Amino acid sequence: MDLKERLSGELQKKVPEHPSFPNFNTQHQQKWEDPSILDYSTRIEPPFHVFSQTSQTQSSLPRNPNNQIKVRGQDGPVNETLLSNKVQDWDPSAMLNNLSFLEQKIHQLQELVHLIVGRRGQVLGRPDELVAQQQQLITADLTSIIVQLISTAGSLLPSVKHTLSAASPSIGQFGQFGGVVFPSGQGQNGGVQPQSAGGSRISEQPNSFDVSSNGGNEQNHIIEEHELKDEEDVEEGENLLPGTYEILQLEKEEILAPHTHFCTICGKGFKRDANLRMHMRGHGDEYKTPAALAKPNKESSSEPTLIKRYSCPYAGCKRNKDHKKFQPLKTILCVKNHYKRTHCDKSYTCSRCNTKKFSVIADLKTHEKHCGKDKWLCSCGTTFSRKDKLFGHITLFQGHTPAIPLDENKGSAGPSDHRGDSNQAINKVGSMNFNFSSNVSSEGGVQSSVDVKGGIDDPAGYFSPLNFDTCNFGGFHEFPRPPFDDSENSFAFLLSGSCSYSQKSGED
Amino acid sequence: MSKQKKECFGGFNPFDLLSEEIIFMILDLLNRNPLDKKSFSLVCKSFYATEAKHRRTLKPLRQEHLPAILCRYPNITHLDLTLCSRVTDTSLSIISNACTSDLRSVDFSRSRLFSTSGLLGLALNCKNLVEIDLSNGTELKDSAMAAVAEAKNLEKLWLARCKSITDLGVGCVAVGCRKLRFVCLKWCLGVGDLGVGLIAVKCKQIVYLDLSYLPITNKCLSSVLKLQHLEDLVMEGCFGIDDDSLAVLKHGCKSLKSLDVSTCQNITDSGLSSLISGAEGLQQLTLAHGSPHLVMLQVTSSLADCLEKLSLLQSVKLDGCLITYDGLKTIGNWCLSLRELSLSKCLGVTDEGLSSVVTKHKDLRKLDITCCRKITNVSVAHITNSCNFLTSLRMESCTLVSREAFGLIGQRCHLLEELDLTDNEIDDQGLKSISRCSKLSNLKLGICLNITDEGLIHIGRGCSKLIELDLYRCAEITDLGILAIAQGCPGLEMINIAYCKDITDRSLLSLSKCSWLKTFESRGCSLITSLGLTAIAVGCKELSKLDIKKCHNVDDAGMLPLAHFSQNLRQINLSHSSVTDVGLLSLASISCLQNITILHLKGLTPSGLAAALLACGGLRKVKLQAAFRWLLPHRLFEHLEARGCMFQWRDKVLQVELDPKCWKLQLEDPMP
Repeated sequence: MDLKERLSGELQKKVPEHPSFPNFNTQHQQKWEDPSILDYSTRIEPPFHVFSQTSQTQSSLPRNPNNQIKVRGQDGPVNETLLSNKVQDWDPSAMLNNLSFLEQKIHQLQELVHLIVGRRGQVLGRPDELVAQQQQLITADLTSIIVQLISTAGSLLPSVKHTLSAASPSIGQFGQFGGVVFPSGQGQNGGVQPQSAGGSRISEQPNSFDVSSNGGNEQNHIIEEHELKDEEDVEEGENLLPGTYEILQLEKEEILAPHTHFCTICGKGFKRDANLRMHMRGHGDEYKTPAALAKPNKESSSEPTLIKRYSCPYAGCKRNKDHKKFQPLKTILCVKNHYKRTHCDKSYTCSRCNTKKFSVIADLKTHEKHCGKDKWLCSCGTTFSRKDKLFGHITLFQGHTPAIPLDENKGSAGPSDHRGDSNQAINKVGSMNFNFSSNVSSEGGVQSSVDVKGGIDDPAGYFSPLNFDTCNFGGFHEFPRPPFDDSENSFAFLLSGSCSYSQKSGED
Repeated sequence: MSKQKKECFGGFNPFDLLSEEIIFMILDLLNRNPLDKKSFSLVCKSFYATEAKHRRTLKPLRQEHLPAILCRYPNITHLDLTLCSRVTDTSLSIISNACTSDLRSVDFSRSRLFSTSGLLGLALNCKNLVEIDLSNGTELKDSAMAAVAEAKNLEKLWLARCKSITDLGVGCVAVGCRKLRFVCLKWCLGVGDLGVGLIAVKCKQIVYLDLSYLPITNKCLSSVLKLQHLEDLVMEGCFGIDDDSLAVLKHGCKSLKSLDVSTCQNITDSGLSSLISGAEGLQQLTLAHGSPHLVMLQVTSSLADCLEKLSLLQSVKLDGCLITYDGLKTIGNWCLSLRELSLSKCLGVTDEGLSSVVTKHKDLRKLDITCCRKITNVSVAHITNSCNFLTSLRMESCTLVSREAFGLIGQRCHLLEELDLTDNEIDDQGLKSISRCSKLSNLKLGICLNITDEGLIHIGRGCSKLIELDLYRCAEITDLGILAIAQGCPGLEMINIAYCKDITDRSLLSLSKCSWLKTFESRGCSLITSLGLTAIAVGCKELSKLDIKKCHNVDDAGMLPLAHFSQNLRQINLSHSSVTDVGLLSLASISCLQNITILHLKGLTPSGLAAALLACGGLRKVKLQAAFRWLLPHRLFEHLEARGCMFQWRDKVLQVELDPKCWKLQLEDPMP
């Protein structure tokens, strides 16, 4: 409680100074980075974290911060009821995950809208049809993102709903919450058509919530799956019949403890191997010899023992034994990684990009290896660290296509630039005055002007009728337009001007 | 014509009776000369309108004309922009707004300056676009490909030499254009396995795929070979593909009809056998300039087995391969009968080897033994004996074949249409015999120093269908021979009389009767004057390429009629002639003039050159002496380059011309 007060105090101090919250947010995180703190006081803290995050995402939007403050104000009691009721049901880290997902999505939305703005510029002067088509495309994208947003936002609810199911304010709060999130998406649309579509979504919203609230967590999984290490994915395919294996479930404290030695029978972890061996004695005399410790399975192979699989202690998780479609975890390491990735705070931030966060330090290291290098992006918004992964994804999904990086678009989408360049060149030439004799004399030194003069003095008199200096080069000012529409007529005058030739051609 | 008729019928116009369909059918037949349709449309207003309605294909000279011509011709389906070097996005939006759903095919292969947004507009507006040629679009980026991907109905796409495109761009195309059937990715150096693999996975309809010079490996090849309809696979110079990687491919492609693995240095017999295993329908196999280890068809039984199964194989090209006697003997032992065989520049070809092949493959239609320097009369005897159906025989520089042997060609191969005897010992007797090949259309006699007018007169009498004749450095030829050709071969389109030093204006006067003449090259014919050139200009309206380098007696007087009459002239070489500023400037009235080479023109001044360059609006390529680069303002060149003109600077010293015989002797001297 102490902490909380201090925090809120800090917050209040910060607000006037930094109307846009990000600064506060980061400070806040640094404070609560340490994952080993597991007592309840930390459990109170995440809501703040959560909301400060929302505020971060929204601070970039033209939203009145009052809204958030209101929400926060309302949330205070919620937390307290939560605390007093059941802490277990309400997992702030999951919510945090969801919120950071929301954050991602909102960023995507933003990018999309930026794209619209960019395209608008290009689209100018094109038929309305075209614009409409593009808008349709963008609307589709927006809708999909909004749907994702809604479903994830929905997943935030059950905790609130559970605890406050009796209390009516939850609905009001939800309404407000929705009011914060969705219109912001709309606001970003900035006058582009899809507004109405987004609006209709929102009206449908309440119905779809119950469903999506369950699925929310899973969806979150799917989106982030590519980031996870293989070990978890691989056993996705394992089809063990229920009952053919023994299920072990470790407590979260056990999972998060920095143990390296685990009991293969009950799963208890130890810091020192000696302690584990001591523990094993408790399981029976057969474990008393070190040889037995080394190969516990071989010995017992004669009598069929059940395979051991692990369950995640987080209620509602697919990896939890109470889940309808329970999928067990294979090893303790899997449990550890799974629990940290899905149900824990992502406390390791990449030092390069400062945006990606991880709960498993190995993931961070893997990411840092590739961070800053090319991001491979699919049209669906999923990013890949490797090009072949992107192409594998595209091969798999119909209609997905590689997204071309925006900066390239900007670079080459400058047709106007291009044209400008050539125009410039043309103008330059236009402004050259076409005074060759002078130009040449300045650049080519001695030869030049004499040369031209010589041409004029040429006994054949070829030059006199053409008279490059005075004659026609004024006309070249017109260059930006087709230089000589159809050279036949445009040059005829020059030729007819050269009287000596009309005679000569008479010979033919 | 119509005017006369109109007078006959008084006020009544008989053309009112002609339905549009009938006129369209007539117009369909007016194909040979593009100017014919132009004259047709000039007859009267209704003809003008009918022709405008009928025309489907356009090949505009400049992009500036586009708004007007697209307005005049509403039914254009094919737009060929190869003559417009500058095509900006503005032009593209004009095209996409004017043509909309009619447009089916566009060719940008020679155009630059357009970008993504232009292409996007085109792709979105022209929904029925089936073909786009974007070759040589070296500035096109992946975003341009994303725009192309919007053309959902695209079936044919050429991207040769689009070097800035990567897998991502190709990936966009693969996802967007699912109906693709013809894809050329030659020299798209940024495209690798992933892009090609994705195209193969997403575009199932592909029939033709050109992957030449791509950095690909077998990773994409496995999916490429799974394409159900693939008939034509070109993989020239794919160095990343080797035997080891090919060995992984268990099954070849059943539908494959033509395979080109030229210059794939790392593919040898075993790799080839895994590549063609299962391709039972293979008709054409090109292995030119392959690995030195490609011992081709020798003992390796797996390859022999594979080739045995190719019952439909018709054409084999082994240019530049190290082929041995054994190899040729194996080809000779194949049970099938080849139609086409190319052994050009194969060092190991001997009389015995070649004979063993030609005696078995009697149905051979095309044989290329260019530079097989070891063969003698024996081979020629065998070829002429067994392959009576030959339509094309190319045997440049078969120097050991003596002059008697050429008699056999004329006696036994009457169906010859193409005959390349460059740098051979053939004499007048040989030519007399060859004149019996009445279907001959393409005859190359360059550097045949033994032939004279007498032989050429026979050719003129016998080969009336001659279209191309090459007499490069045939020093003995004079006006008489050319006269015979001009009289006997009215359909002549190309003639090269370079360095035939005795040729005078009389030859040109006689050639001016060949009204189809398109290409005329008379380098180093110093007796030719402007008068002769005038005759050519007046008589040969189709002239599109002219090379009068080192014709010292041609001056401005020759340029003026050229400028007036040769409105189809595209390319001209005036180096070392006596043309001056004025002559050059007059050429500006030829609106389609694109390439000029003007080196060592004594009468050319910097200002005259500048005027001429500015006046020739359609120039694309100019070869100039490097000195002019510094004599003219830099901004002038910038301006011209912005107009789409490229400059090539040459700094070669003038060389004294050698006597033809000396020239050949020098040629034969081994290099020190």
